[in-house]
Amino acid sequence: MKFGKRLKHQIQQTLPEWRNKFLCYKDLKKLVRLISLAPMSLGVSVGKAEAEFVYLLNVEIEKFNSFFMEQEEDFIIRHSELQQRIQRVCSTLGPEGSQPSETDYKDEMERIRKDIINFHGEMVLLVNYSNINYTGLAKILKKYDKRTGGLLRLPFIQKVLQQPFFTTDLVSKLIKECESTIDRLFPTVKQKNKRADMVERSNTTTDGLNIFRNTVAALETMQEMRSGSSTYSHFSLPPLNIPEPDLIRSVQLNSPIPIP
Amino acid sequence: MEARASVTVQRPVNHAGNIGVSGCMSSSLPVLPLPLEEKYTKMSYSQQICFENELMTDPVAPFDTPLASTGGNVGHKLSSTSGFCTDLHSSSSSTHESHLRITPFIPQVSNNGASSPIAFSSHSGIVRSTPSISYNKRNNNASWYAFKSQGVVETCGNIPDQKSQIESSNGAAASEEHTSQSDWQQWADQLITDDENLAADWDELLLDTNVVDSEPKVASQAPKQSSNFSPNQERTHQQPSAHCRDLAIVTSPLSPVCGSSIKSRMRWTPELHECFVQAVNQLGGSERATPKGVLKLMNVESLTILHVKSHLQKYRTARYGPDLTDGTLEKKMSAAEETPSLSPKMSIEISEALRLQMEVQKRLHEQLEIQRNLQLRIEEQGKVLQMMFEKQCKKLGDNFNSSTSTLDDSSTQSLPLPNAKSEPEAMECDHDTEHGPVDDTNTVEDSHNDGKEQNTVEVIEVRAPDMGEESKNSSKKRARTDDTNTTLSSGKSASD
Repeated sequence: MKFGKRLKHQIQQTLPEWRNKFLCYKDLKKLVRLISLAPMSLGVSVGKAEAEFVYLLNVEIEKFNSFFMEQEEDFIIRHSELQQRIQRVCSTLGPEGSQPSETDYKDEMERIRKDIINFHGEMVLLVNYSNINYTGLAKILKKYDKRTGGLLRLPFIQKVLQQPFFTTDLVSKLIKECESTIDRLFPTVKQKNKRADMVERSNTTTDGLNIFRNTVAALETMQEMRSGSSTYSHFSLPPLNIPEPDLIRSVQLNSPIPIP
Repeated sequence: MEARASVTVQRPVNHAGNIGVSGCMSSSLPVLPLPLEEKYTKMSYSQQICFENELMTDPVAPFDTPLASTGGNVGHKLSSTSGFCTDLHSSSSSTHESHLRITPFIPQVSNNGASSPIAFSSHSGIVRSTPSISYNKRNNNASWYAFKSQGVVETCGNIPDQKSQIESSNGAAASEEHTSQSDWQQWADQLITDDENLAADWDELLLDTNVVDSEPKVASQAPKQSSNFSPNQERTHQQPSAHCRDLAIVTSPLSPVCGSSIKSRMRWTPELHECFVQAVNQLGGSERATPKGVLKLMNVESLTILHVKSHLQKYRTARYGPDLTDGTLEKKMSAAEETPSLSPKMSIEISEALRLQMEVQKRLHEQLEIQRNLQLRIEEQGKVLQMMFEKQCKKLGDNFNSSTSTLDDSSTQSLPLPNAKSEPEAMECDHDTEHGPVDDTNTVEDSHNDGKEQNTVEVIEVRAPDMGEESKNSSKKRARTDDTNTTLSSGKSASD
């Protein structure tokens, strides 16, 4: 399945507020085609078309940047709040707290667990957002160069690599901290049965379900994109290497698209 | 307070060292060397305003300027810190500005402690900000950033004697960021060319500073933002005990494309947020704290009241939810009681579901990280190969006149630039054979450097027939690469 369709699928699955923040891949593709069909006789039009194209790309990048940084700011705040909340709960309701209460503690911890896992999921989805937009940009640039014989791709992508939306180190760091917090607070026991419908049924909040669906969609997209295509080139990524390939299959949620 | 003052006073001394005073003290300042000057004039002004220490801020703007990549180079240079002292040292004698810079710093070096500011004349006080300004002019934003991060501003803020002068010069420096591009042009020209007019410049700067908020501790931005900013926050700062003012905030304006929206974007970090929380707590909690108060307390350069306002709003929402009620633990508890108690089976299922969700998320994150690293490496490799190809092209251009025997017409036609586009792609290989081809191309490089034109020509010849093709599918590319490799190896052996 083509990237455009995959992207659209992902956008549909994504959290509602994110829907219009993704790359307008289709529109840019149309523009590239228009540019390539435009008369090349006038040198002006070529340069102008490229300028317009670059302008639009910049607009997109600005969109990514502002959305990303806004989300990042939110995550920073939420992360710090979560840590404080955990500390508060532990210090008041916990076994060594000021007002120890086992049931309340358990309930609170359960709630915290859900919140922290959803928080983790959102952050991962933001990283995915960054990545898929980057991929889309790279593809569009490649198309542009191919269609118009331009040399836009290489220098432009160097710029993109330094944009805030692509530099996801901070979010990744927060994600890892989340993971370690979860491991610390909720040491898990490996279970054999993993079933997606279980998640669907028991996920009491729509947020959690949304996040889960979106995560799965993202994984699917990634797997597909990395499985090789007709335009596989030296700039393409190698096939996906997921240690547990069954994981994705097991979490397929009524998806009509089979994973190869 | 005293401790802070004494610490920060050290820093200007370090600055002096960086600028190139003999016997300079080394510092970890990532100050950009002056050789970047010449690049400055060609870069668009949108890149002038500070960028971050960690290669993160090059704006999207100057795509249309061919030298935009120098911004990347500049940023790259920022990442190394220790070498710059010597760089500056060597280049400091090149311009009169540096000369100017050196002189006023010498008294600074000799004086220690808080008494030094008193010794400053107004001129030197102003000139002290010269490096930052002229650095800015040269798009040496790192130094501006470095100045900030090393607390020149703090110093100025801390030492009351200097307050009026230094604050004004800092205000000048601060207002620098927000001046329109034309002003920069003027000032740059003046600074670079006119020695005599320097005094006039400083008067101009001083006048400008009067516009700035006279509030001593807050370098609030003058509302001159004509271009869209995307300030980027320093990710790491030197002192783990986060003095807010140590957190240098760097602004980088975005493409003039988005000039209509004047909102400047701040990139927050956990450290900055920590600073924010401290300030808020000092003011009595998020309910009672006002943006202005928080801004004052935080005292971070280039943080505006708008940033603080929006951040405060987010903070309140995060703590208390959409309805601004008192967010105590009791409230959360009572909310919890509303949810029905769950049967043990359900809770196990929920727990299991959460675990599964977590696992999927972890997996996705891992893959994303891997993918990102790969993407970075691809581009890095592409860049390297592009450079190598350009070198090769140049060499071929040099050799072209002399070598005629092995060239046929088709290959000569394919030599010019359009090759550049497909060349790197042609030379790139699959990732699983990544190291192999890289070694091969290195071999190519070596043999080229030996001046063996035969190899060069053969390589180009192999690629020539494939040039100009629109569709490149993988098999063809691999075949081409294989041909190249074969040619290279045969060429190499032939030359041995």
